[in-house]
Amino acid sequence: MTVTGGGVPTLSRVSDVAAIKASGLGKSYGSGVMALEGVDLEVGQGERIGFLGPNGAGKTTFIRCALGVLRPTEGSIAILGHDVAHDRLAALAEVGYVPGDLGMIRQVSGGRMLDALAKLHPRPPVLRDQLLAALDLSDADLKRRIREYSTGMRQKLGLVAALQHDPPVIILDEPTAGLDPVMQARLLGVLDERARAGCTVFFSSHVLGEVDELCDRVAMVRGGKLLLVRDVDELRRARVRTVELLFDGDVSPSAYAVDGISEVRVEGHVHHFTMAGDPGPLLARLAPLSPRDITIEAARLEDVFRALYLGNGD
Amino acid sequence: MQVVLSLALLRSLRRTLLLGLALGAFLFLVGLSYSSVDENQIRSLVESLPPALQAFLKGSDIASPSGYLGSTFIHPITLSIMAAAGIAGGAASARDVETGVAELMLSRPLRRTSWLGAELIAMLVQVTIVAVMGLIGALIAVTTVDALAPVSVSALLLTAIPLWLLFAGIGAVTALAASFSRTGAKAIGWGTAFALVAYALDYLAQVWGVAEPLGPLSVMHWYRPATILGQGTVPGSTWAVLVGVAVVASGLALVVTSRREVAP
Repeated sequence: MTVTGGGVPTLSRVSDVAAIKASGLGKSYGSGVMALEGVDLEVGQGERIGFLGPNGAGKTTFIRCALGVLRPTEGSIAILGHDVAHDRLAALAEVGYVPGDLGMIRQVSGGRMLDALAKLHPRPPVLRDQLLAALDLSDADLKRRIREYSTGMRQKLGLVAALQHDPPVIILDEPTAGLDPVMQARLLGVLDERARAGCTVFFSSHVLGEVDELCDRVAMVRGGKLLLVRDVDELRRARVRTVELLFDGDVSPSAYAVDGISEVRVEGHVHHFTMAGDPGPLLARLAPLSPRDITIEAARLEDVFRALYLGNGD
Repeated sequence: MQVVLSLALLRSLRRTLLLGLALGAFLFLVGLSYSSVDENQIRSLVESLPPALQAFLKGSDIASPSGYLGSTFIHPITLSIMAAAGIAGGAASARDVETGVAELMLSRPLRRTSWLGAELIAMLVQVTIVAVMGLIGALIAVTTVDALAPVSVSALLLTAIPLWLLFAGIGAVTALAASFSRTGAKAIGWGTAFALVAYALDYLAQVWGVAEPLGPLSVMHWYRPATILGQGTVPGSTWAVLVGVAVVASGLALVVTSRREVAP
């Protein structure tokens, strides 16, 4: 690890090995329910990946298999080259993890809990003070027993506990649950900083806006199967958007027709249609027509997510 | 391991001290009450009781100082307090799985056997604290009540050891049940069931000839505090069975836990 001039610790890659690599990962329970099925996923070092899926899709099961908390029934998973089934301790020494269902010992103080969790990790808690400040946890807060904490404070404590060691691989299972919007933004800022310092961020969430803001790639799961892995920008570009044009006079839709346009509807001087793909060619065709107003709905990951799930529905 | 142990002890501290104080107070008060006992009246009262009620005394002569004090070690209040310490301590791992604490701990580079080993040691420490506080109550009674002067302090100390071992064993059996359980309540239920069945089997073996051969199958059968107080020695079979139950159950719990899943 090196420290930049700005005081932000950065990680240097030890090799080109994947931060997280799942090969044919499957998990079934005694009832025969397949919680995960044949998941192949490779996350590179320094990558920020959003792990998306509805409730029961298998997100948490995947993460728990990655940490050795659950045992896969098929396939394997490795963290920075350490096979979790055979070398769990070495794999976990590289990880900072915030569970979705965060369990804390409620009878002890927050400070004692942080100290205890720090001692269980081989890396020193070099980022603790910085994280406590960023997440607004004071010394007085740390002296209080965890049973007196609100859900949000417990979540903040869990985040500090997970990130205080500056782990090269950060795995978060719905980490913003219970945090107010200000803290959510601060957490995303902290994660962005860690990612820029070279950490891998694996971010499971239902909140697509967060993933959109933080991640550069998304993996989507449903019914225990990996639906797709794509760059966020690529998904945005592929999205179908709604466009509205206002002209001063009569204009034929053929005047601006380009590939990807459909469902054209003309109401007087107002044209409505949908458009898939890059808007560049459309804008080029519109320039000589001098429209008075153009409205192109912003591409949101949420719409892509919905379209994908509806498109792959049973 | 030390980290998990200190956390386990910290969170059980209040419960352990309360149980210890309760047991100490109970044993002291019972010892204190011996000064008001008329030996002959008690003896004739016990002899007039039906065998089913005499069996609760496990053959001790409660009119004698050692028998009277020994009977407090098999009194349901003593057994319940010790069982609460052992079973609550033994069920801690299942409770940790249920609440997500196990997931939080074991997503750090910590061996499962170290984690459960620390929980087992914490259980032993809790049972020890409660037993020692109970023993202190009994010792205070022995040293302050003249009528209890014939009771040997060394024999009293010796009696506390099988009591500790018995409930360490019950705690270890609960820990074994906890290693199969995802909730603390389930583990506590199994631990309590084990203790109750052991108690009932031992009782039945004493009052019902048909059940008599089954008596040695109960862990309670090997616990005879009045005999120890009277003779001043713990039989080898008692050591073997009580230590064996604790060690075997702990070992099995460690093996099962090393292979189990720890997600809530």
